[in-house]
Amino acid sequence: MKRSIALTLAAVLAAAGLSACRGADNTDAQNAGGTKTDVGITKEPCPKSEHKDRGCIYLGIISDLTVGPFHALAVPITEAQKKFWQRVNAQGGIGGYDIDAETYVRDNKYNPQTHNEVYQEIKGKVLALAQSLGSPTTAAILPDMKQNNVLATPAAWTSAYAFEDNILESGANYCFESMNAVDYAKDAFKPKSVMAVHLAGDYGDDAAAGTKIAAEKNGITFIDVKTDSGTDKQAGAISAIVSQKPDLVIITTGPADTAAVVGGAAQRGYTGKFIGTSPSWNPGLLQSPAAPALKALYLQTAPWKTFSTDSPGHKAMREALGSSVTPNDGYTSGWVWSYPLLAALKKAQADGDLTRAGLVKAAKSLTKVDYEGMLPDGAGNFAGGPDGQFRQSLLYSPATGNGTTDVPLVKDYFVGPTAKDYKLDKPCYEKL
Amino acid sequence: MRKRPLLHTAYSQDFALFGTAVQRTFVLVGLLVALAMPFLVQDDVLQLLGLACVTALGALGLNIVTGLAGQVSLGHAFFLAIGAYTAAALAGDPDGRTIGFGVTEILVWLPAAGLVAALAGMLVAPLATRLRGLYLAVVTLGLVFIGGHVINGWSELTGGPGVGRQPPAPSLLGLDLNTSDAFLTRDQKLYLLMLVLLLIGALAARNLARSRVGRALTAIRDRDIAAGVIGVNLARYKTVAFGVSSFYAGCAGALLYVGAGYFDPTSFDLLLSVQYIAMILIGGAGTVSGAILGAFLITLLPRLTREIPSLLPFISSSPAESPNAYQLETVLYGVLIVVFLIFEPRGLFGIWIRLRNYWKAWPFSY
Repeated sequence: MKRSIALTLAAVLAAAGLSACRGADNTDAQNAGGTKTDVGITKEPCPKSEHKDRGCIYLGIISDLTVGPFHALAVPITEAQKKFWQRVNAQGGIGGYDIDAETYVRDNKYNPQTHNEVYQEIKGKVLALAQSLGSPTTAAILPDMKQNNVLATPAAWTSAYAFEDNILESGANYCFESMNAVDYAKDAFKPKSVMAVHLAGDYGDDAAAGTKIAAEKNGITFIDVKTDSGTDKQAGAISAIVSQKPDLVIITTGPADTAAVVGGAAQRGYTGKFIGTSPSWNPGLLQSPAAPALKALYLQTAPWKTFSTDSPGHKAMREALGSSVTPNDGYTSGWVWSYPLLAALKKAQADGDLTRAGLVKAAKSLTKVDYEGMLPDGAGNFAGGPDGQFRQSLLYSPATGNGTTDVPLVKDYFVGPTAKDYKLDKPCYEKL
Repeated sequence: MRKRPLLHTAYSQDFALFGTAVQRTFVLVGLLVALAMPFLVQDDVLQLLGLACVTALGALGLNIVTGLAGQVSLGHAFFLAIGAYTAAALAGDPDGRTIGFGVTEILVWLPAAGLVAALAGMLVAPLATRLRGLYLAVVTLGLVFIGGHVINGWSELTGGPGVGRQPPAPSLLGLDLNTSDAFLTRDQKLYLLMLVLLLIGALAARNLARSRVGRALTAIRDRDIAAGVIGVNLARYKTVAFGVSSFYAGCAGALLYVGAGYFDPTSFDLLLSVQYIAMILIGGAGTVSGAILGAFLITLLPRLTREIPSLLPFISSSPAESPNAYQLETVLYGVLIVVFLIFEPRGLFGIWIRLRNYWKAWPFSY
């Protein structure tokens, strides 16, 4: 009665509940059009498709949908991506196939182990991942993705992805973004010292490394201050700012932490400038007690323009989402991130090879991606490797507008001299 | 005697490994099924079952200190973390971003992980000899927070939160278990490894329970003052309980993320400790099979709940609407603990007893 029950229970659960039989691997197939396919493509129409004459390409989404730290952003990202692929279907699909990004949506709870578990669950059923959110979580599945030629669009901007063939990253990474921030500040504020206040990990370290590199290049003193996530844990960062009085602070934390740091430092008489990287801000901060301080001191870099921007891509996104949604840049990001995958799918289809290996090859050969005006020309050069990385970012003054429709732009797409000349030979965060 | 399996006339019968012939048959059949698994199910399920085996190993450890000796410990995540990082550091890549010594031999890093964790457990044990009940629970809770603070801050070892590091890549006597080859895939090899380790661990736990030490621990659980009066050395046996329990936790921690291939220091939080408590509560505290059952149920539960939305159409699969499948997955887990504690405090093991009694007396089952 001992171990046996456990094992038989496991057997019953596994056999009956999941009914997964070994040896049913997908083999290469050739459809009528002559396109080669393997995993994640069926001749049967998608479950929710109105086009019953088309086959179906399944894409998986693994995101932070319930309890993780980024779910407020991840839910709109996921929603925008669903709409993006629905729009592709409405425009005729890809080579006689509709795209389904709704059947295999999974929650990673921002935990690498859960991420890997759900990835293993859906990996045999999808061609590629339309979203894999988070850098530690994506790192957990990256070796397997490489082994099985699974292509993924990340929901992150770390510089490590420049070195991965299986990842399609959009926009400037954190490292270039903060280089640009320092270069801009050098002309605008003439700082003698810059402090990076950042979280640990790929996000914070990457931005801090960019700050350090730009500071060294411009002959500015660099101070590194690591902080923890949580509004009650910012006292150390605030006193570091107030006591060392840097002329410029590059801040890479969560939005609530940003408000705590900027508000706290201003209260104690700090008058220098803050520049935050994109995930450091959300419009809710305008209602926080730190709003006056943010208005006076805070600028923000961004990889692309905000929700209400006037461009063909932005317009298409707003139409697809309908008028009932609250403007949120999670939608914008989800939408922008999807373009390279669309381009890769189209290219693979044109090459007559929609297998996983064919898709990775097609992605690697992309020299440009049509972002419908959401990113400037030259973005999406994946054939160029680390040198082909997109390096332009923008600067906003988000606190002086109303947060949703009016977000004042300080500087349009630009690349500073540091980022322009920088040779990306390994992930930035390794240089901090 | 053959027809009266529950009538014991000697101590040796009372402490036999298997109480009855039926038990032995069950273990044998279960073992055969478990060994056949790698050739029946897909790799993703196999990975999950392998994880369940390792989790069961960790639950067996907690079962010794909490189920057998009655010392409520919320510090299990701390010992799992010690094991995980000892093993990862020993087996890690010497040229990597995090501390690594390049010893991939599992016969080295697995015992090492267990021993380091056991040492930590024995250092904590003096607290346990002075405290009990809620006070002990709160003190062990402190361990989780101290441990969490250290591993989150020590990024040379752990990679830091949001970065993480790779778990050890196991190789056994030169045979690489971390890659697929012509005979077996990576997941098949890892599953078999973890199954064998679980069998060893379960046998050792069962033997411990029916030894002198096991009886002493049970006496402490039932009433520590009485146990002390009849001559059980409380300090010594509580130390043993914490040491052995932590050894199990260390070994389980070392293997816990091998299947997943990556882990983040924030994984070792209070929730992980609570999960292990839930496993032995749901399984049935104090029994080896209960701990294993509970571990399998808790590990497989998320996968099963993800299948539910396809059966219940009113539950949305879109994260933007409520109620959706992802919320259900999170909530169901808590509901299960509440339901078990109210309706079947003896856990899955109790359900088994009820079933057994029902059929034993059939057709006069009430």
